[in-house]
Amino acid sequence: MEFKDYYQILGVERDATAADIKKAYRKLARRYHPDVSKETDAAARMAEVNEANTVLSDPEKRAAYDALGRAAPHQAGQDFRPPPHWDAGFEFTGAPGGGQGMDGAEFSDFFEQLFGQAARARRPGGASAQSGGAQRGRDHHARIELDLRDAYHGAERMLTLHGARLDDGGRLVNEERQLQVSIPKGVREGQLIRLGGQGGPGLGGAPAGDLFLEVQFKPDTRWRAEDRDVYQSVTLAPWEAELGGPVEVETPGGSTVEVTVPARWKPGRKLRLKGRGIPAATPGDLYLELHVALPPAATDAQREAYRVLAQAFPHFQPRTTQGA
Amino acid sequence: MATHAPSPRSALAELLDEQTRLTLDDLARACCMEPGWVTERLEAGLLHGEHAEGRWQFSATTVVRARRLARLESTFDADPQLAGLTTDLIEEVTALRQRLRQLEALLGR
Repeated sequence: MEFKDYYQILGVERDATAADIKKAYRKLARRYHPDVSKETDAAARMAEVNEANTVLSDPEKRAAYDALGRAAPHQAGQDFRPPPHWDAGFEFTGAPGGGQGMDGAEFSDFFEQLFGQAARARRPGGASAQSGGAQRGRDHHARIELDLRDAYHGAERMLTLHGARLDDGGRLVNEERQLQVSIPKGVREGQLIRLGGQGGPGLGGAPAGDLFLEVQFKPDTRWRAEDRDVYQSVTLAPWEAELGGPVEVETPGGSTVEVTVPARWKPGRKLRLKGRGIPAATPGDLYLELHVALPPAATDAQREAYRVLAQAFPHFQPRTTQGA
Repeated sequence: MATHAPSPRSALAELLDEQTRLTLDDLARACCMEPGWVTERLEAGLLHGEHAEGRWQFSATTVVRARRLARLESTFDADPQLAGLTTDLIEEVTALRQRLRQLEALLGR
């Protein structure tokens, strides 16, 4: 277990006031907010910052943490084991895994060992006396990235979950487990998937919490989903766009369908394939958004073809339709 | 402390869709907040649910918004309306970014 220097994480001095800690925490929370930050490790840094704030903003936890630092000075990252009875004389109250609105699920082993379930279970009376009896495990929340095609066919995903559980002696045991998840078809962006009993462990024989996964689709240049409807861009040659006719399109469902493009091109034209969106009792629709691509003229014959085209349309004014 | 790496287990995934209804307690628990926190946000128009026969019910997608609100409020001691405004903007930006990616793809950028 690595020692965590919470003061270093928040970038404050050891004698920082509560106001300094709050200020430093909010500044970092804004920087690493998972919905806003563009930094690649934002989620991990945010979890670290939340954990540091949970300890340093709570006078009881901060006092115990400071006492631990004095008793067994450590550098951040060093291997660390708390001395026995390090927390004698300190009593922690409040939510074990952070304040209101915070999940304890993301906290480190270091935190769990000092302030989490293991710490509570070690104290006189153990976990059940602390919590007033059996306590259902916490729900955990995470995001999962799927391909839009998974929504059509369902998918199998292997998730690696990091967690901790208490052994029979009330000691914290690190646990990394792999979970094979069958995702049924029909899943949509923003939807929640519940994996019953895969959240935090319960105390005193109570059931485990659930794991909730929020679905996000991987960005794909070919298509996008809006609720159950799917939008796919289809590029046409100029003659297909203007003369119309049948074209073959490979859909996100994996099948190839033949659609008839109407003659006379209109910008912004969409074709609707009813019921070919994301499957459901009432499935969504698939919209084909039509675009035109110009073939590059690479040979003399092809350049000549464009000249013939120009001669055939002496009155065509491409710039008269532009602008407001 | 030991590290366990047992063989993979299978888990049944349950899709929470429009038919799935969460209670007030379910939603509060998902946000690590008290039920009273949820009712105050309902009255303020920051969260939406259905009220029938004296009980609140919520669609599963409300969880994502409610958790975002709760986190903003607790992290920044934010006024609920300010957290609501920020949440609205985050949702809007997410939708616009998705649209932008599509348009950039069409333009070949």
